Amino acid sequence: MLEIKNLHVKLADEDRMILKGLSLNVPNGEVHAIMGPNGSGKSTLAYVLAGRDGYEIVDGDILWNGESIVDMEPDERAAKGVFLAFQYPMEIPGVAGLTFLRTALNSVRKKRGAAELTTPAFFKLVKEKGQNLNIDVEMLKRPVNVGFSGGEKKRSEILQMALLEPTLCVLDETDSGLDIDALRVVSDGVNALRAKDRAFVVITHYQRLLNYIVPDKVHVLADGRIQKTGGKELALELEKSGYAEYTHKAA
Amino acid sequence: MNVAIMKTKAEQAISESFEAVAETLPGSAVVQERRAQAIGAFSGLGLPHRRIEEWKYTDLRANVKEVFPPAVDRATPLTIAELIVALGPLAHVDARRIVFVNGNHRAELGDVADEAGLEVAALGQMLASATEDVSAALASTPEGGDAVEALNTAFMTDGAVVTVAEGASVPKPLLIVFVRAGSDASSVAVRNFVTMGQGASATVIEAHVVLPGASHEAQLNSLTEVTVGKGATLRHAKVAVDEGKSLHLSNCDVTLGADATYRNFQFSTGLGLARNGLNVIFEGEGGKLDISGAYLARRAEHIDTTLVVDHAVPRCESRELFKGVLDDHGRGVFQGKIIVRPDAQKTDGKQMSQALMLSEDAEFDSKPELEIYADDVVCGHGTTVAELDADLLFYCRSRGIPEKEARALMIESFIGEAIEKVENEQLRDALTAYAIQWLDRSRHG
Repeated sequence: MLEIKNLHVKLADEDRMILKGLSLNVPNGEVHAIMGPNGSGKSTLAYVLAGRDGYEIVDGDILWNGESIVDMEPDERAAKGVFLAFQYPMEIPGVAGLTFLRTALNSVRKKRGAAELTTPAFFKLVKEKGQNLNIDVEMLKRPVNVGFSGGEKKRSEILQMALLEPTLCVLDETDSGLDIDALRVVSDGVNALRAKDRAFVVITHYQRLLNYIVPDKVHVLADGRIQKTGGKELALELEKSGYAEYTHKAA
Repeated sequence: MNVAIMKTKAEQAISESFEAVAETLPGSAVVQERRAQAIGAFSGLGLPHRRIEEWKYTDLRANVKEVFPPAVDRATPLTIAELIVALGPLAHVDARRIVFVNGNHRAELGDVADEAGLEVAALGQMLASATEDVSAALASTPEGGDAVEALNTAFMTDGAVVTVAEGASVPKPLLIVFVRAGSDASSVAVRNFVTMGQGASATVIEAHVVLPGASHEAQLNSLTEVTVGKGATLRHAKVAVDEGKSLHLSNCDVTLGADATYRNFQFSTGLGLARNGLNVIFEGEGGKLDISGAYLARRAEHIDTTLVVDHAVPRCESRELFKGVLDDHGRGVFQGKIIVRPDAQKTDGKQMSQALMLSEDAEFDSKPELEIYADDVVCGHGTTVAELDADLLFYCRSRGIPEKEARALMIESFIGEAIEKVENEQLRDALTAYAIQWLDRSRHG
């Protein structure tokens, strides 16, 4: 279970607080959506979960399966099962997708105490996981994400997720820049990974994604705190009424 | 105005060491005369210093304090097994070899066999035995009053003389290996000639390597003169891998005929103070040139790349891409001059020089110089200096890749774009292996 306790976060080089006492529990096996207006702290939450530099945790804690992760390096967190699907996946010129995937996979396997995969075993795995996402090996011979369309980048994120087998999946605005077809492929990829020992935090501004990835709970994040929690119907409500109520409350 | 400049100790020592070894240097009377002229020219010029524009960032007068004795005909033993060790990753490149140890040819270490259209000879022997005309031509001092090239003519002991016959296509690369071995401080001067006949095609790799345990007190002066005939293709690489202390002065003077293709790749790591000079002149229309390179410098290493490309005729194309990785107090210098003569219409020239700084103390000096006298040309240049991208580093680490490996991956990706220019896959792999070795020894990598 993911337990976020009274989390207060600010940028390391600014005084302004972004998360102001955020508390949230996501049990394994559940998908929780975090919705909120722009500037509410959604992306900050995603980055803080993954361990990006530049944020300072002023108060509170983040526990993953009972263990505090706030002092862990990003790669240690990845080994513990944390995965962030980026809103804007990075391009890495000069590094072939396959090399990147293999380096990442073997790094986490090593830290999890598993043997490195042999080349044939790795290829077989990539082929199998890629198939469901319409990603062929040719695409992975190209440098990571270089020249990929928005949809290709997001599919490649989900492939990384499928290969690394995380237990805590954080999806940051995964629907941004996707057309309906790409959205369906990506959502199918995510849904295929839903499992009872895996928790999902799906961060999104729009309700649309939640038609495809149906959440167990929806939380409204505004002004650095969870303002309201409900079932999937809360997303539909927000779609109609907008976030005015919460931003008003916040102000 | 006639200003008497005091000679530095080093300049004095160079002239004295010439006196000491002049009689033992190979060559006929004509050659010896050329050598005397060259040392005379050097005497007038002195070591290049920062007030000479082309040497602004690489001041030899200030930095060369000592002069090591020329390694003339020094019989340093070297076994094949030691040669393989010295070659490191380059040993895996399937190539014919001609080998020089401390600037002297060692036939027993090479395997240059008779091959249709390919002639490979040792310069030392040719200077001594060829007719006066030929040896004089071999000992010519290239134009330009360059002190470093003059020193090369004065002191050169040996080198490879490679001739590829008209129309011949040599399948296997030729590896010209210069090994430094032995515990004595030494200076070495070598000269190579590569002449490609009309329509010929070949790959030549010049390697400057060190036998582990060899003295770090080393000074090298290397000059390679290249002529690529009409429609011929030469893929040329120079790989210099050392242990961080040596002085490495290298020049490559190239003449390209009509429709000729010349590709040059420069790879340098561990050079204490290095100057890699390349001068190319297009003499026939339709020539194609690609000069690229990668270098890695740390501690107080200094690597200077100075290119002069002279588009003297119309319709030629030149491409330059250099990538440097600089750590600690490492310094990279890039000077790229492209001259487009008034008649050289339809010239297409592009130049890019990029540095990746791994330390706040590293320095990169880049000086592109475009001298364009024609009006119908496409010429562009660019320079970038960057640190490792923190966002990219985070992206890699969020995928479980530890910081050290993530940094190495990004550095490899940076210079990988330059190494991609090398056509021979085994050579590409060898260069990548050298880069990885460098990273493994780095505090960052």
